[in-house]
Amino acid sequence: MTTNTSNLDTEIVVLGGGPGGYTAAFRAADLGKKVVLVERYPVIGGVCLNVGCIPSKALLHIAQVLHETEEFEQYGITFNKPKIDLDKVRAWKASVTKTLNDGLAGLVKQRKITLVHGVGKFTSANTLSVEGDSGTTTVNFQQAIIAAGSHPTKIPAFPYDDPRLMDSTDALELKSIPKKLLIVGGGIIGLEMATVYHALGSEISVVELMDQIIPGCDKDLIRPLHNRIKKQYKNIWLETKVSSIAAEKKGLTVTFEGKDAPISETFDAVLVAVGRQPNGKSIDAGKAGINVDEHGFIPVDKQQRTNIAHIFAIGDVVGNPMLAHKAVHEGKVAAEVAAGHKAAFDALTIPSVAYTDPEVAWMGLTENQAKQQGIDYDKAAFPWAASGRSLSIGRKEGMTKIITDKATGRILGAGMVGTNAGELIAEAVLALEMGADADDIGLTIHPHPTLSETFAFAAEMITGTITDIYVKKN
Amino acid sequence: MADVIELKVPDVGGVASIDVVEVLIKPGDIISVEQPIATLETDKASMELPASAGGTIQQVLIKPGDKVGEGTLVATVLVNGAASPPVVSAPQPEPAVPAANETKPVTAPEAPAPAPAPNVGKPADRTILATPAAINDTGLSVKAHASPSVRLFARELGVDLAKIAQGQGRKGRILKDDVKNYVKQAMSTGVSPSGSVGIPIIPAVDFSQFGETEIQKLNKIKKLTGQNLSRVWLNLPMVTYHEEVDITEMEAFRVASNAEKGKGEVKLTGLLFIIKALVAALKQFPSFNASLSPDGESLILKKYYNIGIAVDTPNGLVVPVLKNADSKSINELALDLAEKSEKARQGKLMPGEMQGGCMSISSLGGFGGTAFTPIVNAPEVAILGVTRAKMQPVWNGKEFVPRLMLPLDITYDHRVIDGAEGARFMAHIKQNLSDIRRLLL
Repeated sequence: MTTNTSNLDTEIVVLGGGPGGYTAAFRAADLGKKVVLVERYPVIGGVCLNVGCIPSKALLHIAQVLHETEEFEQYGITFNKPKIDLDKVRAWKASVTKTLNDGLAGLVKQRKITLVHGVGKFTSANTLSVEGDSGTTTVNFQQAIIAAGSHPTKIPAFPYDDPRLMDSTDALELKSIPKKLLIVGGGIIGLEMATVYHALGSEISVVELMDQIIPGCDKDLIRPLHNRIKKQYKNIWLETKVSSIAAEKKGLTVTFEGKDAPISETFDAVLVAVGRQPNGKSIDAGKAGINVDEHGFIPVDKQQRTNIAHIFAIGDVVGNPMLAHKAVHEGKVAAEVAAGHKAAFDALTIPSVAYTDPEVAWMGLTENQAKQQGIDYDKAAFPWAASGRSLSIGRKEGMTKIITDKATGRILGAGMVGTNAGELIAEAVLALEMGADADDIGLTIHPHPTLSETFAFAAEMITGTITDIYVKKN
Repeated sequence: MADVIELKVPDVGGVASIDVVEVLIKPGDIISVEQPIATLETDKASMELPASAGGTIQQVLIKPGDKVGEGTLVATVLVNGAASPPVVSAPQPEPAVPAANETKPVTAPEAPAPAPAPNVGKPADRTILATPAAINDTGLSVKAHASPSVRLFARELGVDLAKIAQGQGRKGRILKDDVKNYVKQAMSTGVSPSGSVGIPIIPAVDFSQFGETEIQKLNKIKKLTGQNLSRVWLNLPMVTYHEEVDITEMEAFRVASNAEKGKGEVKLTGLLFIIKALVAALKQFPSFNASLSPDGESLILKKYYNIGIAVDTPNGLVVPVLKNADSKSINELALDLAEKSEKARQGKLMPGEMQGGCMSISSLGGFGGTAFTPIVNAPEVAILGVTRAKMQPVWNGKEFVPRLMLPLDITYDHRVIDGAEGARFMAHIKQNLSDIRRLLL
């Protein structure tokens, strides 16, 4: 270990090289700013690229291929039972990540951004100290953008030193395929990992505290997913709490408190996916005078400014939802404001996607929210059982739902469940941002036969012009 | 234990019906005791309704425009600061960080916004904090109808899109051009275009300091008429010309004609003859039967003769139009006018019956007066004013003779009609009314 110290002067320092951070750094550099990007890991890309979105999608694609080949047996196509070479799977996953890592490294170079590896902490409102393998770098900055991200929530009493207790990062490493796997937390991450491990052969149980999986999403959108995984998984225990986990030789013995769950059961591995906590408390924000709330979030205004006018914060560390696409958008806003532009975060919605099978995606107002807020709305839900495209890929459980304002007809929210719902939701987001109403959507020609048609069909159900199904008039 | 408490309108001094102007809370808001939850307005005053209990709002049962009275249920509030638990999928009652996950959607878009922590930095640095979550939720239906690029453009120019009521795009969507026009207008007038038209406004005065006052809301017709008249007043350079017409013979004929009429037949009024004389003058002077093109470059001459008649109704002034007055006899016009006037008074005129006028007549003959200056009903270019006819001594060259004299006023748009033309037009009407036989020619 060396104790080198060095100094760097820069216009803008970006703390954290995840999607929000590198986007902010790139945008600031493109606007002519001198930029230093600080990243604690050897590669940039953050949770999303290294231990989140991207590797999980690679594994989910494998799960999809496994499921589809199996399911098409009933339609006359039979494959041999697949052989899974975990080393090769891991290598492929790693190669996907590496391709993107290398791409980002190239973009950093092209933009002449100074990349400093190490853990960055504020030492004043204009200095950041970065502890790296090769010593300490002091960065003197004019403006800073905090993109320090979040980490998985840990439950103190659980035996985290036991390798059989995993968080999402561990689970993505795919060290082994446990026979019996318990997923604690029926949210999006938990269910995505359940999809992967189920396809690779684990027997899955899911435990969730609330009365539905993916809490916060409308129940009707969740139902097709729930019905499918109910058959695939051993157990889905709702309204159930894990009271303790004991590490024993034979496995992890978990005790439950809940209506349908057993008192205790032993699993070969347990994945805890109960949310994430912001990293606001681990950057010595106080030394720069930056406010951090009790949870570790850094409050910001619409221009991503913290209480210290020349320091911005973006992404997971400023609040929910903790999503890469939110962070990227905020990163651009922060960089533009720092460069003197009048940017602001004024997106009308941040879409949500669960890459489960079937996928679940929603945006804008959920029906639950519309009800809570007393909004007068119209609603239509088009069943994919009436979509030729859906049937021809062997699936019929999907649904496309749309919620419009009764007075103006404008779209307020949409939700989809089914194959590729995550891709399809983007059109609904565009419709919302453009202020489209049900007529606009219905009168836009959608190619046939596609799953995208279902969005137009749902709109036509609202305008009363649908012909693909029969809706009885009142 | 959480209790649900109902927030109601308290005794407000026996006023039975109070308008809700603004609702200041929404479900999920955390409020404290005495915090205003709604703005109410009576005809005398507007007041803020304080919360009788603090907690988390569960339901809001009123909306702007509602009428409320003592005891009306306004909202329900869950008392016990803990509020509804954030939607968390933590399996233990652990610190309630709203659940989120890796990089994917969150389970709780409605999670309470992180409360701003106490000020560490300079207070002056702080702007109002809004979390993206707060921006992300609700109120979508009331946002300006503008696409993201237009919102960006407006932000750069510092334009509040809420001030642009209606865009030029399909379904009122605000376009870049609307933002540009708004800015142009603001620059040229120096004041907000949504206010008055670039002239200093009349300062507000609290009249109640001088004695008792009462606020009376203007009805819709009054408001629209007011806007229209102000617009005309500011746009048109107007001249009014006064004249007196000898209608002694005309009146004798009118009285005689009415005497011949049976019971129930519509009687003739002087106004009908004036309409006829006006039509004849319009035929002679086409520039009066015209409108200026919007660009001010040309005159649009009309080949039809529709006359608007200003009618005083309990709800305000309306102007029904007598169509094709040139092809109707005086008796036919009498029927038409009686029918339209009755409809106007009953508020049953259809919009089509008030459109298409070429020139209007405003008659105050029923009230008296000697002269007035009517305002042109633009885009028409002139209006004829009538006050009460009076027997007057008129010098006939040898002696004073009693003649029935009718005062007429014409106001015209000076951009279209010059003074001599105005005088000739009136002379034509005068000639025709003095000797109504000419109307046959």
